[in-house]
This record gives sequence, C-alpha cells and structure tokens, in this order.
Amino acid sequence: MAEKQVIISVGREYGSGGHAIAQILATRFALPFYDKNLLEEIATGKNVDVRNLEKYDEIPKNPLISRTVRGFNNSPEENVALMQFDYLKKMAAEGTSFVIVGRCAESVLKNVPGLISFFIIGDKEVKQERICRLYHATARQALDMMRDHDRRRKNYHNHFSEWKWGDMHNYDITVNSSRLGVDETADFMEDYIRRRILQW
Amino acid sequence: MTVQASQVAAVVIFLSMFALIITDKFERHVVTLLCAFSTLVIVFGICMHSPRAAWETLAVQNIFTPGFWYSAGAAESASTGINWATIIFIAGMMIMVEGMAEAGFFRWLCMTIARIVHYRAIPIFFTFMLMSALLSMFIDSITVILFLAAVTVELAQLLGFDPVPMILSEIFCANLGGSATMCGDPPNIIMGTSLGFTFNDFITNTGLMAGVSMIAVVIYFFLIFRKELEQDEVHQNLNVHPDPMEAVHDLRSFRISYVIFLLAVVLLVTHAQTGLTVAAIGVIIAAITLLTAWKKAPELLKKVDYRTLLFFIGLFVVVGGLEQTGFLQIVADMIGKASGGNPMILVAIIMWVSAFLSAFIDNIPFVATMLPVIRALSVSAGVDLSVLAWALSIGTDVGGSATPIGASANVVGTSIAARSGHLITWGRYCRSAAAATCIVLLISMGIMFIRYF
Repeated sequence: MAEKQVIISVGREYGSGGHAIAQILATRFALPFYDKNLLEEIATGKNVDVRNLEKYDEIPKNPLISRTVRGFNNSPEENVALMQFDYLKKMAAEGTSFVIVGRCAESVLKNVPGLISFFIIGDKEVKQERICRLYHATARQALDMMRDHDRRRKNYHNHFSEWKWGDMHNYDITVNSSRLGVDETADFMEDYIRRRILQW
Repeated sequence: MTVQASQVAAVVIFLSMFALIITDKFERHVVTLLCAFSTLVIVFGICMHSPRAAWETLAVQNIFTPGFWYSAGAAESASTGINWATIIFIAGMMIMVEGMAEAGFFRWLCMTIARIVHYRAIPIFFTFMLMSALLSMFIDSITVILFLAAVTVELAQLLGFDPVPMILSEIFCANLGGSATMCGDPPNIIMGTSLGFTFNDFITNTGLMAGVSMIAVVIYFFLIFRKELEQDEVHQNLNVHPDPMEAVHDLRSFRISYVIFLLAVVLLVTHAQTGLTVAAIGVIIAAITLLTAWKKAPELLKKVDYRTLLFFIGLFVVVGGLEQTGFLQIVADMIGKASGGNPMILVAIIMWVSAFLSAFIDNIPFVATMLPVIRALSVSAGVDLSVLAWALSIGTDVGGSATPIGASANVVGTSIAARSGHLITWGRYCRSAAAATCIVLLISMGIMFIRYF
C-alpha cells in the first residue's frame, strides 16, 4: 500500500453488498478491515467482554430513557458509538490506513485528508434476492429485514452526524451496486481510489 | 383576557419546557430561556398586562439590597421569580471547583485515600463511598463523581477489579451526601435561599436523616456487592502503586486551592453566625480563587458552566409565571385535600411523590415549582414550613438516585463507566439503586414522624 494514509469508508444499504465490496477493497489494498470487529479491538484494549458491547452496536439510543449532562450520556448505545468514534479518530490521528464499514465513519473522519468515502445503494429486487440467498430468508422476510436494518442505520447515523444517511453530498461517490454487481463495483471503486491516491 | 387564560398559558409553557428538556433534542438552557421569554411576553404581557409581575419575576432589584449580601438573621426571601442568590452562589462555587480541579486536588485526594488503604478493593469501596458523601456535602455532586468515577476506573484497570459496584455506590452516596447540607445539591440551595434556612438548619434535619441512612446504605451496598468485591480482592494486582503527587502539577496552586476549600466550608458552616449570605460567600470564594489564580483567572472563568446558570435563570422565570398566575396555589390546595388535612400523610405524599418524580425528571425545575406549593400548603394545612421543606428536600435529592437519569451525578458516573467499557444498563442500575432509595426514604420518613409529630 502507498506510504500515504488511506482510509476507505463504506456506508451501505442493507443487502446492497457494501460489506462484501469493502472486504474486497481491503484485500486488494492490503488494508485492515473493520466492521463489528472494531468493537473486539476496543474490548480487548479495555479488558472487557465484547459481547456486552455488541448488543448496543449501531443502534440509536432511546431519548426517553437517556439524558445528557455536560457532554456525558447514560445511554449504552451512545457510549458504544462514541467509543468507536474515538477509536477511529485515534487510528486516523496515528496515520493508520484502514477500511471501515458504517459507524458514521465518513462524518467522524470528515476532516482526515486521506479519507475516501462511498455509499453503496441497490435496487430493491436485487437486494431482496441477495438477502434471500445469503440468509435463507423468504421474500417477505427479506423485505422486512431491509426495512428494519435500514431504518436503524438511518436513525443511528442521523443522530450522530450533521449530514443525512445516504445523502450523496456527504460521500465522494454514491454507487448502485445492482448495475455492475459486487465484483465489478469493487473494480470501479478500486480504480477511483487509485486515481485519488495518484493525486495526493 | 382572564386570569384563567394566563394560568393555561403558564402551564402550557411549563409543560412544553419539561417535554423539551426530556426529549434532549435541544440544550436545556436554550429551552428554559425560550420558555422564559414566552412567559414574559405571553403570560405577563398579553394575558396579564402586568409589567409589575414581570419585574417581580426578574427580581434584579433584590441584588442591590443590603439584605441580599448580609443578613443578621436567616430571613425568608419574600420575592418570587429568579433566585439570584442561588445563581451567584453556584457560579462562585463553580469557579472554586475549577481552581481545585486545575490544581489536581480531587485526583490527589482519591489517590491518597487509595494508597492509605493499600489499594485493596473492599477498603477502597468503603472509603470512596464515604469520601463521595462528604465531598458532596460542599461541592456539587457532578464534580465529585467526575473525579471519583474516573479514578475508580483507573484503579480498576490497574488493579484488575470491576469498577461498576463501586461507581454505583459512589453515585448513590454523592446524592445522599448532597441532601445533607444547604450547599450540597441545587434543590437545597434553592430551598435554603428561598425559605431563609441556614446551613445548621439543613445539617440538623436533612443531615441527620442522611447520616443515619448512610449507615444503612453502606451496609446494603456491601451486602449486595460482596461477592464481586471479594472476588476482586483475590484477583487484585498489588504490584502497581500510583503516586498521588503525580496528580499535582503546581504545589503552590494545590495548597492554595486546599485552603480556599477549607475557607468555603468554614464560611458556609458559620454563615448564620457571620450574617454572610450564600450569595456573598459565593462572591468571596470566587474572588479569592481568581485573585490567587492570577494569570490563570481568565481560563478558570472560561470553564464556568454558564449554560447551567442560564438554565437556572430561564427556569425561575417560567416557574415565576406559574406562581404569579396563582396556578401553584391550586396545586397546593389539591395536595392539601388529598392529604385529608393529616400532616403525616401530607409529609409522606410530598416525600414519596417528589422522590418518584425526581427519579425520572430533573429535580431542579421540580423543586423550584414545589417551593411556592409547600409555602401555600404550610399556611392552608397548618404544618410547619420547615417540616414540609425537609420532606421535599429528601424526596427530591434521594429520589433522583433511583434511576440512571434521575440526577446529574448518575448520568456522569454511568457514562464514565461506559466509556471504560463497563456499560451500565437501566436494569443493572435500578437493581441496586432503587431499593437503596426506598431504604433511605423509609428511614427518613420514620425519623420525620418520630421527631416532628
């Protein structure tokens, strides 16, 4: 990988294959890949059981049972999110290059010069078919899963970010993975990343 | 416009303020200031056509009276509206506390006590609970927990114990300690300055109840956390011993902050004898802190939590709207009727209802609202005002301990634990704190029944 710092953030709709695309990019650029495993590193560093943190990952807090005082909030969801944001900022400040899926990374690391941000969308039918295939779900279940996951991700993102989830102004590129498929979308994104790196 | 219209407007503004505070969408001070502005324009201006009511609520003229700064005996403030004495005192204490924090006082104190007890989990558990209660008698519980919880987490990481039982106990004791004195918790400061109570009045009444309850609470927390604490003692790594003096960067500032804190305690304890009001004490302490800090004074002033002060100002105006329109008199009459004229039932209602509501909503607006109510109740039911005040004080201060959002110290403590990876859910928090709250309320109610009836 280049000596310069590169952070690839991938936001995604559920079923769009964004996660798989991010994994492909991490392999091709030989970068560490972070999604839920980010919490494992955090938990190891703090000497706590990761299962206690995972329950609250990428979930919006309930405003009726949480309160903020001088920047402190009692919500486990909010604190798990902040822990991850702090960890991402720390890695970015140390000059580490990595690929990160979700976790508002494109907003949290907005001012990091080496950030390249993507948002992956997909056609409803294509996403539905992919979810049915991967998770052995019925068509109805797949639609429900898409609706629930996307609503949760949207609420989570919009709570912590001043930009809206999926708003193309917040990302370098918003791409529909249903047009080229997962592999070719990854090719397209790789090409874009290499061109960006050449400009630095 | 009739008086009823003004009451409806005042209540709508008040409820909107509460709802907006609960949703946490906007900063609390923005909410109360906007609602205060609405009260001045809609309630006093459009509905009541009464510039006098607005002027009385703003209460600026009080600051320029000698009695505001010096009073030979405790005198009840007759005015309604903004309680400037509370705001000035809290501002002064904020400056002192910032000076102490800057000098490393709190961290040094925590580490020194940990060293005295040889960094062992169970003795740390007991001493930190006690320290939490004692410090909170004079310093706001947010600051106490801010440092105590942070040091607890640090020691837990160094020594390998679970910090959650200790942090939960420290939070509870901070709230309990705050209930013991006039300056320990904002509701008590508001009550003391509004009703003319002294430090001694609080310490000999709520202080007694808090003291007796503290013994029961320490035993209770030890019993429920005993297994975890005993395991921690076994697994403890005793090779790491942090030096308390590492917390002190500047020995001169440290010594000065220590002396100023002692001076503040002396002035508060003796304020009934010296005649200095809490507003005067706040100004004296702030002035000494700023003068001795010298070059760091602008930095200390910047760190003052102005948002909280603005929150208080807005809040007092909104509650002033309820009071001026006579709505709180209606509430007082309803509570009086519910008690059937029985003073003991009245005290029980005030204490338990205050405790229940304070467990879920901010206790500062609640107390500010309830003060005119207990004043009216004291007259209509013929019960000594001080007895109702102690019930309200214990109810609001201790009731806030029951849930993670009931008091500011709870939020700060649980958040510090969470940031260290130890998440405290509602279930885990309430399992220990709700029962402890009930224990304290029962003990306090028993003491009140025996002593005052």
